[in-house]
Amino acid sequence: MVSINYSSREVCCKIVYYGPGLSGKTTNLQYVHSKVPGNTRGDLISLATEADRTLYFDFLPINIGTINGFAAKFQLYTVPGQVYYNATRKLVLRGVDGVVFVADSQPDKLDENIESLMNLQENLEEYGYNINELPLVIQYNKRDLPGVMSIEELRAKLNPEGRPDFGASATVGNGVFDTLKMIIKLVLDRAKSAGGAESQIKSQSVEAQPVKPEPEQPARPYPAASPQSTHGDAASAGVSGGTAVSTPPPTAAQEPTPVNIAASESGTQPPSGGSYPSASPARQTVDTDAAAEPKKEEPTAAAYRPFPGSRDESSPRKITPTAFAPAQPSAEGDASYERNVLKSETPSGGSGPAGLGSPGMAPPLRRRAHKKKRGFFKRLFGIK
Amino acid sequence: MSDDTLIIYEEEINKIESLMTRMLKGAEAKCALLVDKDGHLITRQGFTHSLDTTALAALLAGSFASTKEIARLVGEPEFSVLFHQGKKDHIHMSLVGERSILVVIFDDRTTIGMVRLYAKETAVELATIFEQVMAKSNPKTQQGISNEFADMAQDKLDDIFHD
Repeated sequence: MVSINYSSREVCCKIVYYGPGLSGKTTNLQYVHSKVPGNTRGDLISLATEADRTLYFDFLPINIGTINGFAAKFQLYTVPGQVYYNATRKLVLRGVDGVVFVADSQPDKLDENIESLMNLQENLEEYGYNINELPLVIQYNKRDLPGVMSIEELRAKLNPEGRPDFGASATVGNGVFDTLKMIIKLVLDRAKSAGGAESQIKSQSVEAQPVKPEPEQPARPYPAASPQSTHGDAASAGVSGGTAVSTPPPTAAQEPTPVNIAASESGTQPPSGGSYPSASPARQTVDTDAAAEPKKEEPTAAAYRPFPGSRDESSPRKITPTAFAPAQPSAEGDASYERNVLKSETPSGGSGPAGLGSPGMAPPLRRRAHKKKRGFFKRLFGIK
Repeated sequence: MSDDTLIIYEEEINKIESLMTRMLKGAEAKCALLVDKDGHLITRQGFTHSLDTTALAALLAGSFASTKEIARLVGEPEFSVLFHQGKKDHIHMSLVGERSILVVIFDDRTTIGMVRLYAKETAVELATIFEQVMAKSNPKTQQGISNEFADMAQDKLDDIFHD
């Protein structure tokens, strides 16, 4: 299942290396990891036993770069080959786009190869995949060992359907990249054919709308545009590339949606650590303010739709994200947030973080009240 | 099933991200990830810069998948919430609809109760958005990647994968 994310501009495919135990699936990944440039791959993650046998899966993300504004990412997984790990093996196959079957070329491993291939078929069927429709490349590994079966023999036993196959020796790297390139090609070809209707949609949308999307189009609430036209627009804007970059800026310029803020927050400000410590006093401050003037928050609270029961006025523990508030002009709720924060900051006189102001204010107030009282009693009883 | 390509548009992602941001602020958690059950990262919010979110997504999806099998073995359809407690940081995972997992990473500045409360609320709202996403991509308008994209990707392969 190819995942296409128009927001982060990614196309993500999942490729699983399948095969009997010790056939060299992990070695394939290790070789790819060692040879591919560092900016192209992520870390190789191996969930293995102490004896270096795969327990759950190995995982190697590969990013082959940006194409038409979209990052093409491939996630390579291996499965545990041992027979009794079938439950976990099946889990790894979930959502797979392409399978590399790594077979062991040694004659005494032939039965294991066949059993594993049948197991692959069964597990795929449980997910509703058809092994004949799924991109599948077969790799006859360990060609460098003496006394291995010939490719023709193996092909007759394991690949009567004539799928793409390669001889390989993963430890030295022969055939590893050939296999990988072929499976990526097949996966992309399949994704391409799955999107057969796309070209039609694209042309429709081009007729219906200008190529450059209207500025307010993306910012419109969900059910505004008819789903089909939105689709086509996004498809043409995104994958075909011509207008790919033009989609997000209008959103940003037109209306500062919460997400843009969030993105900039997480991107530029690193205030998490810094803002947390002061969060609780600041929260108290805002609490008192909100309690003093509940009217101001009422209309916006309804528009902002806080979580039921958790943020209403009567709640004993009121959580208000004061640390973020100044930078958070969320479409509806920002006005009230800003008011609250400003109010909480004013008494502190700008002498420090907003949160520290209010506790500092309290003692003088109390003292003054106390003095007044004493004066009253003094006057009452005539004490000097 | 293999054909149901997950395509998420800007519009939905915007909604999803704003919901997640709201949850993070409410629960005072560090960061949140939305992960596909297949191990793909859909989106992330909060302070994720120091995290290898790609690997995290794959591993979290893996651990969620394995608990599903455990659930099946003990006669449950699925465990919908998963919680990992650490010394400083903790992870709360909850199921969103049929195919996504909402992951919240938090520390001792908040409580598991707060995270659970907000995550539960958010999961319900996210589930409705995902229903809309699926409704959008289900009709015959199923799209894939363009020919041009596939061809260009294949051209790149030779540059990257060579011995």
